[in-house]
Amino acid sequence: MEKSTEILNELMAISPALAAIERVNVFTVPEGYFIGLDEKIATTVFLQQDKKTAFQKVPEGYFDSLSDKILSKIKTREESPTEEIRSISPALHYLKDENVFDIPEGYFDDLSSRILNKIKESNTKVVSINSSRNWWKYAAAAAVAGIITIFSFQLFTTKNPNNNHLIANSSRMPEYIQLASQYKTDKEINQGIATLSDEEITNYLEKNTTILDDETLINNTDTKELPTPDDYLIDDNALNNYLQKINAEGVNKNTQ
Amino acid sequence: MTEIQNDQELLALFKIPASKEQAFTAIIKKYQEKLYWHIRRIVITHDDADDVLQNMFIKVWKGLENFREDSQLYTWLYRIATNESLTFLAKAKKRNSVSLNDDENGLSNKLKSDTHFDANKLEWKLQLAIQSLPEKQRVVFNLRYYEEMPYEEMSHILETSEGALKASYHHAAKKIENYILNN
Repeated sequence: MEKSTEILNELMAISPALAAIERVNVFTVPEGYFIGLDEKIATTVFLQQDKKTAFQKVPEGYFDSLSDKILSKIKTREESPTEEIRSISPALHYLKDENVFDIPEGYFDDLSSRILNKIKESNTKVVSINSSRNWWKYAAAAAVAGIITIFSFQLFTTKNPNNNHLIANSSRMPEYIQLASQYKTDKEINQGIATLSDEEITNYLEKNTTILDDETLINNTDTKELPTPDDYLIDDNALNNYLQKINAEGVNKNTQ
Repeated sequence: MTEIQNDQELLALFKIPASKEQAFTAIIKKYQEKLYWHIRRIVITHDDADDVLQNMFIKVWKGLENFREDSQLYTWLYRIATNESLTFLAKAKKRNSVSLNDDENGLSNKLKSDTHFDANKLEWKLQLAIQSLPEKQRVVFNLRYYEEMPYEEMSHILETSEGALKASYHHAAKKIENYILNN
């Protein structure tokens, strides 16, 4: 303290005004700055010394792999999905793990066997279409012939004196039933079918497909020229293209 | 058959008639949950997700023999699942085009008809917000947000550049945030 009084006296002798100002430290340091400062300084000094020695001894082939090392570091440092959503929208980041959807218990346990069964079922049910429309025409003709025969038979029976009420009602019957009355023999029926257009047959079948049974279709189909299932998978248009092709073939045959 | 067989081994086994079904079962088991959730988040209801998942695996069965191994099985499966789900929605939209007006696919209505739906809960608001996104943006958002898929893989599945996917995800997340804040 004696030294301090001496210094103060000295200052008073030089500048009494300056000596009168209270000594206050106006500078601040970050909190905890001095904690561990010695270690930080020691590490920095150590690293600098280490760098100096390492600089002169570059490991062999160091620069050959440097670019790869840097690139892999960049890749691993790429933002993870979690970091990304947190930076875009913290709210969405916190909602992420909430799953609102229920699932039946044990759903996944037998899923693979259910799928395999479905595959086996679909393999046995595949019904393919012939490359020409002949099967379709035959099936259509059979169906139309059946209908015409039934109505012809009904009208024949109206000639029976016991069924006079049917004769009386025949004039009120739909036109197609009245038309059917002109086909009385097999020959006439076949001739009638021959006059039907493809469009008429198709329209009829679209409205009355239940008349055709699966067996008729299977017996009249040829699978050889069909596109393979793989074609359907690779290209969604494969089946459409195929159907258009056979349709065009059918039209050409009819016009020849 | 061990659980940890890699895809190359499974594909090789699939090509041998004697082990075909066994390999296919292993492929289903390996990917079923991931694919189910991917599909479920697109089509919303369990029944629809079940239909789409089964149909997609039937297609996988038919196409797996011709699968080119220069692309990953995982990416290929995701691509089929995505296409099947979007096709399913497109068909549903076509069927219901007369009755639906405010919500094109009726997906919001499906969410609202869930027995647990609670409009005040944030997690349900989030689901409604996701349904308000355009279809492809919704898929991008789901793949990144829920499945944490790297953009590189996503670009193979959706055949879109990584940059475009990043931008799409960013826009989607912002739109969803705005929806939640304003509803």
